[in-house]
Amino acid sequence: MKGLIKGLGVTLKSMTQKKVTYAYPDVPIEMPDRFRGIQHFDPEKCIVCNQCARICPTECITLTGKANPDPEKKGKVIDTYDINFEICILCDLCTEVCPTEAIVMTNNFELSTYSRDDLFKNLQWLNDNNQHIRKENNSAMPKGGAK
Amino acid sequence: MMHLLEESLTWTNFFIFLFWGVVMLLLILGFVTYAIYFERKVIGWMQLRIGPNRVGPLGLLQSVADVTKLLIKEDTIPRKAERELFILAPVITFIPSFVIIATIPFSDKLFNANLNVGLLYYVALSGISTIGIILGGWASNNKYALLGGMRSAAQMISYEVPLVISVIGVIMLTGSLNLHTIVDQQAGGFWHWYFLPQIIGFIIFVIAGVSELNRTPFDLPEAESELVAGYHVEYSGFRFAFFMLAEYVYVFAVASLITLLFLGGWHAPFGFLDFIPGLIWFLLKFSFIVFFLFWLRATLPRVRVDQLMGFGWKVLLPLALLNIFVTAIYMSIIS
Repeated sequence: MKGLIKGLGVTLKSMTQKKVTYAYPDVPIEMPDRFRGIQHFDPEKCIVCNQCARICPTECITLTGKANPDPEKKGKVIDTYDINFEICILCDLCTEVCPTEAIVMTNNFELSTYSRDDLFKNLQWLNDNNQHIRKENNSAMPKGGAK
Repeated sequence: MMHLLEESLTWTNFFIFLFWGVVMLLLILGFVTYAIYFERKVIGWMQLRIGPNRVGPLGLLQSVADVTKLLIKEDTIPRKAERELFILAPVITFIPSFVIIATIPFSDKLFNANLNVGLLYYVALSGISTIGIILGGWASNNKYALLGGMRSAAQMISYEVPLVISVIGVIMLTGSLNLHTIVDQQAGGFWHWYFLPQIIGFIIFVIAGVSELNRTPFDLPEAESELVAGYHVEYSGFRFAFFMLAEYVYVFAVASLITLLFLGGWHAPFGFLDFIPGLIWFLLKFSFIVFFLFWLRATLPRVRVDQLMGFGWKVLLPLALLNIFVTAIYMSIIS
């Protein structure tokens, strides 16, 4: 009997306490730093090594390169870079394997659209997605800075 | 308007009665809509979350959206179910709950059917709803529904007995079954209200009333997580809404009765607060009782069916009889 009364007191008091629910989408959710969200692409750093397309488990990355327009320099420059977000599983393998950290993850995750065509993101979109970029990347770059 | 009852039934009188009946029905429906909304809000706040807040401003249109959803759902009747009984069961459950409202006086001046046996009328009619529940359980051709219906009938019958007996103390102190008279005897300040001299009767009436309403902690017939929703498992759409509506109209009726019988109806707790109209006091006390019912639902776990029956027959019934005994001794000492 006493337990019942104490229980009633607990519920009454909990009416005045702070709510534990998230107010999303009115208030954005702050994800921790190592969250695997939508990718950000920096074409300046890309050396068109094709490792990201090779390791992608769902083969959602398609890229083409062109010869470096500057005749002095060797190597290729990225021409198009598309990620198909219908099948991207945000697994982070592309950023792990990239030797230059050209592709990194951000903390964004909102991709909902009304048409499937909008989910095929190109180089420009991936470059513009530069909010909340992940600071600590699990990448193939040598640790402790370049030698 | 009482004179209208004494005149012969002309078409004008008939339409006046029909009009006020429809007004009362709309008021009850409005109450049910916002009782459901407030129940979800209150239970949400007690569980450290906000209740519905998306549909309409502050979520006020949530019940309207829910009822609309129920109305446009497909009306499924299982193939092997008894069609006539299946269709009749929600109707039998709902109609007594609405008919009872006619005898409940909300304030001194508001018109109601001033029956000299108002209390007996309530008790008699609330028993008819039990038949509707058994019919719903049986006609569904579903063993879970049948079990739920049987449990519900057992529960409601066994808690009607202490419910009525606990009120006998109030009737003895007043000397009448007329609800108006019972409230008038409680005038003059909260120490006259019957919940103090009849404290045992008050507690028993509240507990038995919660059980009659099939609300937590006694909601085994509905048993949303066990028994797969009990007797209304086969009902969808508007028929299900009828069962829910019957439950909330009974909440209205039982809360009104607790206010009238034990908490002084429309009288103010202190004499100097008389300037506030009686209807406001009635609504305040009524709202407190309804909040208390929601509070109980948010707090208490569900009682098992054998514990429930044992509690009703072995604890509440002897206590109610003891209450009559003590009241009788007190009255014979006073007079």
